[in-house]
This record gives sequence, structure tokens and C-alpha cells, in this order.
Amino acid sequence: MLKNNRIYNFFLATAFIFSLTANCFGFDLGEKVVKAKLKNGLTVLMLERHISPTVALYIRHLVGAVDETKGESGAAHLLEHMMFKGTTTIGTKNYPAEKILLANIEQTGVALDKEKRKAQKADPVTIQNLTSQLKKLQIQHKQYIIANEIDRLYTENGGLDMNASTGQDVTTYNVSLPANKIELWARIETDRLLNPVFREFYTERDVVMEERRQRVEADPDGKLYEQFLNSAYKVHPYGRPILGWTQDIVNLSPDAVKKIFAEYRAPESIVIAVVGDINPPKTLKLIEKYFARIPANNKKKNVVPAEPPQTDERKVEVLFDANPMMIIGYHKPTAPAYDDYVFDVLETILTKGRTSRMYNLLVTEMQIAESVSASNGIPGTRYPNLFTISAKPRHPYTNAELEVIILKEIEKLKTEPVSDAELTKAKNQLKMEYIQSLDSNTELASTLSYYEVLLGDFRYFSNYLTTIEKVTGADIQRAARLYLNSKNRTIAVLNKKKD
Amino acid sequence: MILIKMNSKIIKTSISYITFLFIVLLLTVGFFATIASAEFPLPSPDKIGYPPLHFNLPEAQRIVLENGIVLYILEDHELPLISFNALIKTGSMYDPEGKEGVAQLTAYVMRTGGTTKLSSTEIDDRFDFLAASLSISMAMESASVDFSFLSKDVDQSLELLAQILIQPAFEQNKFILARELEIEDLRRLKDDPQRLAFREFNRLIYRNNSRGRFASMKSLSKIERDDLIIFHKQFFSPDKIMFSVTGDITKEQAVNKIHQYFGKWETNGLVTKTPDLPQKINDGLYFINKEIPQSTIICGELSVSKNNPDFYAFTLLDFIIGSGGFPSLIFSAVRNNEGLAYSAGSFYRAKPDYGIFGAYAFTKTQSSFKTLSLINTVLKKAKSNTITNKEINWAKKSINNGFIFSFLEPRQIALQQMKLEYDQLPLDYLLSYRDKIENVKASDINRVAAQYLDENNRVYLILGDTKRFGQPSISFGKPVVINPAD
Repeated sequence: MLKNNRIYNFFLATAFIFSLTANCFGFDLGEKVVKAKLKNGLTVLMLERHISPTVALYIRHLVGAVDETKGESGAAHLLEHMMFKGTTTIGTKNYPAEKILLANIEQTGVALDKEKRKAQKADPVTIQNLTSQLKKLQIQHKQYIIANEIDRLYTENGGLDMNASTGQDVTTYNVSLPANKIELWARIETDRLLNPVFREFYTERDVVMEERRQRVEADPDGKLYEQFLNSAYKVHPYGRPILGWTQDIVNLSPDAVKKIFAEYRAPESIVIAVVGDINPPKTLKLIEKYFARIPANNKKKNVVPAEPPQTDERKVEVLFDANPMMIIGYHKPTAPAYDDYVFDVLETILTKGRTSRMYNLLVTEMQIAESVSASNGIPGTRYPNLFTISAKPRHPYTNAELEVIILKEIEKLKTEPVSDAELTKAKNQLKMEYIQSLDSNTELASTLSYYEVLLGDFRYFSNYLTTIEKVTGADIQRAARLYLNSKNRTIAVLNKKKD
Repeated sequence: MILIKMNSKIIKTSISYITFLFIVLLLTVGFFATIASAEFPLPSPDKIGYPPLHFNLPEAQRIVLENGIVLYILEDHELPLISFNALIKTGSMYDPEGKEGVAQLTAYVMRTGGTTKLSSTEIDDRFDFLAASLSISMAMESASVDFSFLSKDVDQSLELLAQILIQPAFEQNKFILARELEIEDLRRLKDDPQRLAFREFNRLIYRNNSRGRFASMKSLSKIERDDLIIFHKQFFSPDKIMFSVTGDITKEQAVNKIHQYFGKWETNGLVTKTPDLPQKINDGLYFINKEIPQSTIICGELSVSKNNPDFYAFTLLDFIIGSGGFPSLIFSAVRNNEGLAYSAGSFYRAKPDYGIFGAYAFTKTQSSFKTLSLINTVLKKAKSNTITNKEINWAKKSINNGFIFSFLEPRQIALQQMKLEYDQLPLDYLLSYRDKIENVKASDINRVAAQYLDENNRVYLILGDTKRFGQPSISFGKPVVINPAD
């Protein structure tokens, strides 16, 4: 009771402050974020916004592709797909009957994969028998399945953008709902964390293979990106694709997926963000009612091997039936290191806007590139990451010609400090991006939960612009000298396949 | 572009996250909430009782300036931002014959080619310093302006915008650069199977129509700077433009500012003939050869317009067939049951006076025909009275419960109203939308399915490694191989 009163008082206080400042600046929104921790260790962030009668709901797990065992790449992503297959009470006509069949399907599938792995030595008759047995079981199983029930429940209740995504660092489940339907979300999400049923496993594995074809095998950008990361990281799992290598995906077992799922169950690694037309004390009560039943886990996280310092420049070439493009990347520390902010500013100075250094030079002045884009923080934030420059030469110029100019520009950063005007412009742009991001429930829920789950405290960002403000030309020069060296560099190029 | 339901993101770069930064000044810290709760059985998700949803939909105000500019305004002072949007009655369908690409280049060089008062470099410098982002984009049947700036910069921002819309200079060197970049884009378009396939699909479905023409190396080489000047003069005029201003600005201020910067803009008085509507075409199977391991399959046909009373029934039909996500028929058949694709579904682009309906899937080369047959079976079956009440209820509930998401933010609300006027739809379109969906009967849906889904008017296109497609189990006719022009 007492605790509830405290929540109430807290809200009175903030509402008062907010009304005084609401009309002068949107930054005050930050004061309204309520953070709570359930007894089992699950973190909840809430933010009231009454612009529309809707709510954005994000669940983030500190579990991603980096947590996979070697040889099982793609397991985290396949699990994310399996999480849409229902629970013991959602998506079934008769769970007890299903359970027996599911065990049979798994057994047959595992045996089939095992035989197929023998490659040349595999017995074609065994493969044929197991294949038809699996097919038969799958058809039998269908009679018990009510497919796509989670999606049906959400859309039918007005849900929008129901989705999930797997990253190297984090896996996310999100949906937006009319504000009166939060309980539906709590009901479904708790259930799938406690009682998921991984139906249609082998069919879904085929779907993921199609996803890989779509995003990598038939897409030059995807192909180059994959090879680039695989060269830049030799030891750390950031070098593996989130989707998984083909040979790993085709062999993924239900066990590999269950292993990752065990990590999901740790409420200490879960952050929920609810942004929209809510009453936080009531919303919290509802969340507590459902999510408190997930038992605390206290399991230690697996140690991910660190990437040793790079000692020599690495180069990789991909041949593809497509026009040339390239990625240049340098290892650097991740947030919240000060130098990570420095690279945010540098990224803006180099390629944000038409007057940015590299866009202006390569696209407008020299006219040798179709596009150029710098990115800080590839491919994740949990571990030391990369600062990259991606560019596409304009015909008839080549990757090699473009590379010379880009590297010359990078050298310039070491010898001449950037001007104050460039710095101010970059800081204006970062500030604008920040303000624009406050404009949507979805973005707010996404951002709050992302930083809370990765860095343990969303308030890391309360000082983001303050720290950005401190970055000087000398900082950029120092960081360029320290990190943007040939020995610390990976260059991946995609060139047109000759017939 | 078609909305493709994605179930995950592979390339998750933190750059997108950096744009989502959030300043937080929390008053209390790490604030508890441990209300003991006894375990209770999870309720059936279909039987949860929900409190009623109360809301009033805010409405943008419509004002007409003396020179004819229509202006929609909706205040919102949460953030120190102003959003400006415009719709212009033009589009690439107005490209001069043989000079396809003029419309696109006009929009691009208006932004990048300077004005009669400021050079292109000065304009770029000012925009970047204000961190204001202006984009002018040309679509097939309209152009739009999207502009966002800090409210304290309202004068500088609108001054720049007015110069760009009213007095663009189309500097010669910027025109040449834009044309060269457009040529490079065409070259690279062939590297993207989906972009290439959808362009060619559009070319087929709009055959013999001005909408079915696209920029090519040849047409671009014929375009001169003067073509852009002429195009701008013809279409950028107060009688062909509508504005919406939302955000941190009062109604009075908005009217005054727009009047100040656009009040003297004179209507050119030119009347432009709207291109003829697309006509039904014969069916056919088309191949585009590209040696990649996955095929892009698209099929489609002309369909129900927005002004047709059957629009609502067809919207539900499309939702059930393939726009309604996982449970929809094509998605279930192709992805869920067979594991043949990651992306599959249908699309329905309804325009005021015609519509396009289609379906798509991306599948491995060997299953190209199998997937196409599955899609075709779904469409065939839908024609024969097979849509169930359960499916219809699901679609109605989904569309109507989700309707509230069309009113998320002021910018979207104003834009929506402006778009209605642009499309000359009835004023009560939005207000009556839910009722009209609700009132569609099962018999209506089955009737429109039988009436409009038309195999004889359907284009089938497969882009992929044609040599390895194999043989179809049912005949789609003899394929015509297309070699997309450069």
C-alpha cells in the first residue's frame, strides 16, 4: 500500500514540474520516465504520452547472435522465428497429443540431419526413408496446429508493427496496440517466455534459408557486409553473420535453439519499455501481475572471447554480378567510452548532409562516387566495434581509385584539425536527430529499452548531448591518429564477376 | 513501394540507434515495484475483458490563401519542431515522351541546383547548418515535399523553401551531376532483384500508358536543363499545390508565415491534361534472366478503384488473401506451410479512379513454379465462394481496431486530410471508413472476388535464373523473356 502511495506522489510531483516546462522544451519528457525493477530482476521503463490512445511495447533480451556456440550460428535468429509458433495454450487444438508428435518429429529430424552430414558417405535410402517419415509426421501434426495465432491475436486487436529482430547483442520483440489492450500483450508475452512450443521447426528452418538467400546470396550489399565483418573479426563472434552461415543453418537442431532460449528466461537480462497513453502505476501493476511469474535465474553469462588487437591490414574481395562497392573499417572502443562520442561527431562531419566532407568531395566535387556513408558502431554495441566508411564508385571509376581518395581524406584528419564551423554544424545535426527521435512512441520505447538493456541504465543518455558538446577538433585529431591506421584497418571490396 | 513483412533485421547497425538518442533527467532512481502477486491461471487470450478506448480525433484546420494555396494546420507544442509537407499535382506520368526522367530530375535539382538568390553551395550550407532536412520527391502520380526544422528557425527555413519552390535556378553543373547520378542509379538498379522486378512489373501492368514509362540511359541522355525549367514552370504553381504545417507553431503564425513567404506566388494558369487511365491488358508470363539463387515472383492485375463502392469489400479481400500478415492465405500457404519464402503476400494500391492488385514471393530458383502455382491456387480458390466468416471477422476486426494508428501524430493527421483532398475523396471518407468496413457482407466479398480477380488480365513475372526454373506443373503459357533496357 505504502509503495503504491509513493508511486502516486511521484506522479503528482512530475506532473507539476512538467506543466511548468512543457511548453518550452521537449527535453523535459525525460523527467517522466519511470523505471522499476520487479522482484525477479526484470526492468520496466514507462513513459506517458497522451498524443494518441495507443501504446508502444518493447521487450529486449540481452541475448543475441554473439551468445551462440561456434558451429551453431543462426540459432538466436531461428529461435526468434520459433517464438511466433505459439505456446501450450496458444496455437493448439490438443497439446498433449501434439507433444508426442513433436518429440517424434524432433527425433526424426535430428536423425535425418545426422545422416545428411555424412555427405558422400550418407546412405540415400536412409535419407529417403527419414525424409518421407518426417513429411508424414509433419502432415499428421498439422491437424493439431492453429497456425499463426500470436499474429492473429495481435492484429485482430488492432496491433501494429508486430515484429521481432535479432541483433548481435540483443533480441527484441515489439508491438504497438490500442492503449486499452496492454493486458493482451502481457498475457501473450509471459506465456511465450514460460511455455513456448517450437512447432514447425524444420519448415521454419527452410524459411530462414530463404531469408538468407534474400538478404545475402541475392544481395550484393548483404554479401559484402558479411565478408567484411568476417575479415574484421577473427576471434570475436561479431565476425559471424546474425543469420548464420549456410552450413550451420541447415544443421541447426532444436537443442541449439533451446540453449539460447534458456538465456531468454533470465528476467535479469530483460528490459520492457512501455510508451504511450498509459497510467504508469496501473501499467506496472499489470506487468507485475504477469511477468513476476518468470522465475529469477541468476545464471552467469557466458564469456565471449575478446578480439585480439589487429596487427596488419586485412583485405578481402568478393566477386558478384553487380557494380563495385566497398567498406573500410577500423576497430575502436564502444560506448560509453569517450572516444565513441568522438566517432559519432566524426561520422557526422564526414558524411552527414550534402556539405559533409566526404560527400562533398567524392560525390559533388570529384564526381567519382555514387554515394559514401560513414557509420560508427558496426556491428554492435556490447563489445568493441568498428568505425566504417562504405562507398560506391561512379562508373567508370573503380574501388581502387576511390580507396586512394578516402584514405587520403582520413590522413588529413590526423594532420589538420577540423574547423569550428564543421564542429558546430555536426553538433547541430546530432541535436536535431535527437529531438526528432522524441517524436514517436515506438522510437522512444525502442531507444529507452535499447540503452537500458545494453548499458544497464537508460540515463547514460541524459548526458549524451552534453558529452557531444565537449568534443573538440583536437579530440578528433587524436582519435584519428590512434585508431584510423592501416594496421587497424580492414578493406572489403565487391567487384563485378567476369564471365 | 510494397510493404513486405519482415520478421527480423539482419544488419543492425548502431547508426540507427544513435539517431534515437534520448536525454533523461530522472528524478528518482531505481524505483521499486514489488507488489506480491499470487499465481493465477493465464486467461484465454480471446476472453480478456478490456476497458473501453476513449479518444477524440484531432482535426487539422483547412485554410485557403488568396492565391489558391490550400493549407492544413495542426498545432502540437510537445517538441520545438515544425513539420512542413506539401503535395503537388504532378508526377513522372507527365514526363515528356522520350524524355522519361525529367520529373524526377526536376525535383532533385530544385533542391540541389541553387535559386535565383542563392547559389547551390550557399543553400546547402544553410540547410546543413540549420540541420534542417528538406526532401522533394517525385512519385508516379504526385510529388511531395517533406521538411522538418526547429521552430526557432521558422523564418530562415521557410525563406529557403520558398526560394526553392518558386525560383529554383537549376544550375547547369548541378543538373549535369544529377543526370549522371541518375544514370549510375539505373546501372545499379539491375543489382537489386526486387527493385528491378517491381519496375518491370509496373512497366507491364501500365503498358501503353504514360505511367508505364521509366527513365533509361537513352531518355536521360536527351534531357537538357531547359526541360527541367519547363517542367517546373508547368507544375509548381499555387493552384496545384497543398501545404500542411504542423508542430510548434500557432495557427495564426502559420497562416501569417505562409502568407509572408508564399502569398505573392502567382498561379501560372496552365491547364494540364491528366493522362488516360490504365487499360486492361492481356495476361502473360514474363521472365527476366539473372543468375541468382532466388527468384522474385510478382503477379498482378488492374483492379477496384477507391471511388468504387466495392473498394471496402476488396480491401478486406486483399487483407485475407495476403496483406494481413502471417494468417493471410498466401503467407500461410507459401511461408508457413511450405517454407518456400521469407517474404510473401499481396498488395492493393487503390487510386481514386483505378486500382492495382497483386501478389509476390521470393523463393529459391527450384521452387519458382511451385510458388507461383501456390499463389495462383489461392487466388483461384478465393474466387469460388471460399472466404469464410471467420476470415472475414478477423480481417474486419484487424482493420477497424488498428484504424486508430492512422492518427498517431499531428503531422500524419494533417497529411492524411490533405491526401484526401488531393485524391478528391468524400470528406467523410475517414469518419465513415470503419462503418463501411464493418458493413461489408460475406456475400459482397465473395462477389468482388469472383468479379475482379481475373486470371485473363493478370501479368506473371519471374526474375531469376531462368535456365533452372524447371517445368511448371500447370501451364502458364509460353513465357516472354524480357531484357530490361538500360
